[in-house]
Amino acid sequence: MQPSQREDYLEAVQFFSEKNARYPSYEELAATLSKTVDRVRSDMAELGSKGDIIIAADGTITLTLQGKQTGTCVMKKHETLQCFLSEILGMDSSSASEEACTLEHAVSDETIDRLGKLIVTHDHLLHNGKGEYKKTDDEKTCRVEADDFCKSPSISDFSEGEVVIIQCIHGRACAQRLLDLGLVPGERATIRRKLSNGALVVQVKGCDVAVSPEIASAIGVERLP
Amino acid sequence: MKIALLGNPGVGKSLIFNQLTGLGVEVNRYPGSSVALECGNVCYKQEKTEIVDLPGIYSLDGNSEEETLVRTFLTSGGADVIVAVIDATKLERNLYLFVQAAEFSPKMIAVVNMIDEADRQGLLIDADSLSSHLGVPVILAAASEGRNIDRILPVALGQATPARVHVPYDHHIEAALKSLEKTIGTPMHTNLLALQGTGNDPVLLDAAGAIAQEIGMRHRMSVSQIIATNRHNFAREITASVVKRSNHKKPYDLDSLLTRTFPGIPILCTILFLLLMSVFLIGSWMEEIIVEVFTASVITPFLALGLPPLANQLGFSLLIALQAGLGIAFPFIFTFYIGLSLLEDTGYMTRAAFLADRAMHRIGLHGEAIIPMVIGFGCTVPAIMSLRLLKTRREQTIAACLVTMIPCSARTVVIAGIVAAFVGILWAFSIYLIIFILLILTAIVLSRITPGEQFGMIVEMSTLRMPQAHLVLSKSWLRIKEFLFIAMPVLIGTSILLGLFQYFGMTELFEQLVSPVTVTLLGLPGYASTALLFGVFRKELAFETLAVLSGTANLGSVMTSVQLYTFAIVSVLFVPCVSTIAVLYRQLGAKIAIITSVYTVFLGLLIGAIINILMK
Repeated sequence: MQPSQREDYLEAVQFFSEKNARYPSYEELAATLSKTVDRVRSDMAELGSKGDIIIAADGTITLTLQGKQTGTCVMKKHETLQCFLSEILGMDSSSASEEACTLEHAVSDETIDRLGKLIVTHDHLLHNGKGEYKKTDDEKTCRVEADDFCKSPSISDFSEGEVVIIQCIHGRACAQRLLDLGLVPGERATIRRKLSNGALVVQVKGCDVAVSPEIASAIGVERLP
Repeated sequence: MKIALLGNPGVGKSLIFNQLTGLGVEVNRYPGSSVALECGNVCYKQEKTEIVDLPGIYSLDGNSEEETLVRTFLTSGGADVIVAVIDATKLERNLYLFVQAAEFSPKMIAVVNMIDEADRQGLLIDADSLSSHLGVPVILAAASEGRNIDRILPVALGQATPARVHVPYDHHIEAALKSLEKTIGTPMHTNLLALQGTGNDPVLLDAAGAIAQEIGMRHRMSVSQIIATNRHNFAREITASVVKRSNHKKPYDLDSLLTRTFPGIPILCTILFLLLMSVFLIGSWMEEIIVEVFTASVITPFLALGLPPLANQLGFSLLIALQAGLGIAFPFIFTFYIGLSLLEDTGYMTRAAFLADRAMHRIGLHGEAIIPMVIGFGCTVPAIMSLRLLKTRREQTIAACLVTMIPCSARTVVIAGIVAAFVGILWAFSIYLIIFILLILTAIVLSRITPGEQFGMIVEMSTLRMPQAHLVLSKSWLRIKEFLFIAMPVLIGTSILLGLFQYFGMTELFEQLVSPVTVTLLGLPGYASTALLFGVFRKELAFETLAVLSGTANLGSVMTSVQLYTFAIVSVLFVPCVSTIAVLYRQLGAKIAIITSVYTVFLGLLIGAIINILMK
């Protein structure tokens, strides 16, 4: 049996089991894959000998751990490829599915990983970040970072004399100048002065940097452990 | 040979530049930019060497005018050798710029300046080790003592080589750089900039943009942040291996006084008040002497020559212009520039910006806007040019409008010469008060109606140090030269025009034309309109013209106190001078120039009319 056929079988079994919460019979499997029941029966016996499935005395199929892993992996590849082909390349979904069936056997894990990331980015662009990545004049002078991952408290929440570690520069800030002055993630900073309006003098790399309150609130930090 | 000095702001580049070139410095404007480049020539071993002082910058990645200029300068091979000036006390932060410049692979040397200051702080820098890390010759220098400055030229001309530094970038960045280099064929420094969204090749930017986005998603951090972090870490490693710290006593930290709300803000107010008062007092004292000497030694003898009327009129106008120029430039503007240079060289200006941040936020600006405002008390033209400091269009628009309203030293002359002399010193201060209130009202309205977003201030606090007399003087001298260069031609041209006007009797025509406004609305004598008109050319001309037209220097005998007061306030408020309009147009475009001019005319006439009606 070809490796691609094996993968197809395992994928089909896994898919069926996820959908119906039970493993398929030979007949059901044959119908899904458009093969004869006899052919399926003999192939299943071969998979059983390779340790991908266990065939019980009454003929029901169960996936072994190895079989389940392979099946899940191929299924994920299929979904990613199909999504890429239809969502990003714009193919219609049935031919995308067909094409994905062929590609899924040859594609590397690395490629799938990257495709997955690409789809997420693309999705983000399409649905969440409306216009966020459009270059504007403002962005040229003050680059707007769509960086909402950082959940650290802002440096404004700390008081004079405290030492903190910078985690991120989030939100809309003139980030480039901060970066150039050494306020980069991982850098240790001492709050030298804090005025009542929240304007700060921060010492990094032996230099004092004064920032306005709204800039300070965009600097995510953690207390020095 | 051409050598360029590159470095962060405040590393002592200018001092080194001055010591290398001596006098004979030219200020050039780089084509298509308003950033000044200082150039000077020296002869070394019978060979002419040109030295360029590049503007101080923190990074080559940004998009400010200065950063773009230096980047273009480096990519176009503007100099044969780059002398990177590095502050010994801030080695790590300064090496950040060095490694960026090294990526453009010019021939370089490094000058580690302020080694005396580093000694005092207990920092020992191993020059040989630094040199082997960077791959270029390193000179330890102390420009304030002149130590090792004489070694710069021989080393720069003889031993400069491209630096051997390679920042270990994150492997995704490295991969991206390689693939861009392969697919598009652009060099590494261009690709690094393209990944951060800077460049002019649309194909490259497109490709780089897509990669940058992916790397950003993967790291959950923008590419700029990753690149900056990599460079800073690299600089930190080098610094750690070449700098030894010995124990030393911490000197008293003046900032504990200067940057606190109390006593910082009272100190700030006192310093600004003293600056303006001394300009006011020293200025009027010196002006009197200059005008007197000039009249006695030049104008009186000239009038005694008895030339034909037209030549006499032209010559007289020319001399009056020279007198006005000298009478304002040296006493007021030069004094002011000395004070300003003192504030800058001590490093106090950045403290002022920090403290002013809160007040400036109320009017839609941020702390750095205090710098153009203070400069505006000297002369509006350089103040408008310094608006580059503010990053967004919104801030520049608001600040431009305010700066043109601030009484510059020419307007101080009008206030001092007319109101303080003939009405009373307290009335003179009341004019400042009125302008101050109008400024705040204008600012509050502007900050509501000006479109755009507000961004805050990010300023490095300069190190506090003793200013050096010769540096302060040479800086003030450069500035006054720039002022004379812009103002003198306008001054002479308009003075001659005024002379011709008078000679052909056209002033009366003009006076009749606008008399409804001057006489009826403002309650001024007819000839005041001509004086106001010429005040548009240079503000102090309003005062001089008024004296000429009224036929006496004792204005109190021909006009009432109310008239003098109204005249002063109208001429102070209304229309910035032509040089200001020209520089506004150049920096911010026609629209802002027109709006500002129209607004100030309207404001001047309105306030003048109100005072006339109230006090008549």
